[in-house]
Amino acid sequence: MKFYLCIDDTDNLDSIGTGTIAEQIREKLVARGYGPCSLVTRHQLYIHEDIPYTSHNSSMCFCGEAPDSAFADVIEIASGHLDAVAAEGSDPGLCVLEFDAERDYQELIAFGKNAKKKILTKADAISCAQNNRLHLSEHGGTGQGIIGALAGVGLRIFGSDGEVKAGMKNIEINQHYRVSELKELPELTRVLEFRTKEPLDDAVEVEVCGRTKTVLYRHEYVLFVVRSAAGIYQTINKSEIRRMGEYFYEQ
Amino acid sequence: MNSKKTLPADAWERGQAIALACAAFEQDVEEEWVAQEPVSCYNCRYRRFTAAAILCMKSRFPENPK
Repeated sequence: MKFYLCIDDTDNLDSIGTGTIAEQIREKLVARGYGPCSLVTRHQLYIHEDIPYTSHNSSMCFCGEAPDSAFADVIEIASGHLDAVAAEGSDPGLCVLEFDAERDYQELIAFGKNAKKKILTKADAISCAQNNRLHLSEHGGTGQGIIGALAGVGLRIFGSDGEVKAGMKNIEINQHYRVSELKELPELTRVLEFRTKEPLDDAVEVEVCGRTKTVLYRHEYVLFVVRSAAGIYQTINKSEIRRMGEYFYEQ
Repeated sequence: MNSKKTLPADAWERGQAIALACAAFEQDVEEEWVAQEPVSCYNCRYRRFTAAAILCMKSRFPENPK
């Protein structure tokens, strides 16, 4: 089976981050013999003063493969880890979905998209979860994290949202790389010109102008670049990438 | 930062200058960095994003007087 797993609200300002906890869960699943698992993606959700997020309101999601009989075990491993490491004062939530290629996930995707632009409630999340036959659980505090956890799964299934955790971390700024070199990175499958969405050929050079991120776009790990007036392909700064994510990387 | 401990969403130079002079600055995990400059209020684990600004939350953690 293919599964999607997302967590949210596991941290406080003094604890390890939710992304790290997601990676730890992934490592535990792989150690159990499951996998392969994808990289973790970070999904930015709505920032509003009435939402009790820690500092940036994002959830962390990945997908993976496991035997059909392993769904309950995946949940147990993830739940156990969340219960062990979630920070004091946090409100963790866990969502695990066994993917069914025949199923229509439009409601779940819409939930994820709405979580980026409006305040949703736990009741909204529970209702959506029941309609989509997935696991959704609270792990302490108010359990408010189930909203972001569910939204993250919806957005990951949608396929055009989220920054790849640790993506482009080891690329040097102010350097030029051929597309073929960039494609050797696990967090990158395509380099696209942002305005045209045209892929760049392997031989093309890209100038890394600042900190940037690969993102999930049409189910691929994509590095967006822009073509300058001088015809040079340049990366887009992370703050701009995050703003573009509000529109799912469409203009 | 101002008296309310806030900075607008993209005051990058001020964010860097304040953080360089701030004894409480503590870098957040890399995936949460927004500013290009590693040492910046925008990359500090004690900042909280609001709709159009960031807010310094360090006063909530007086037990870590860095």
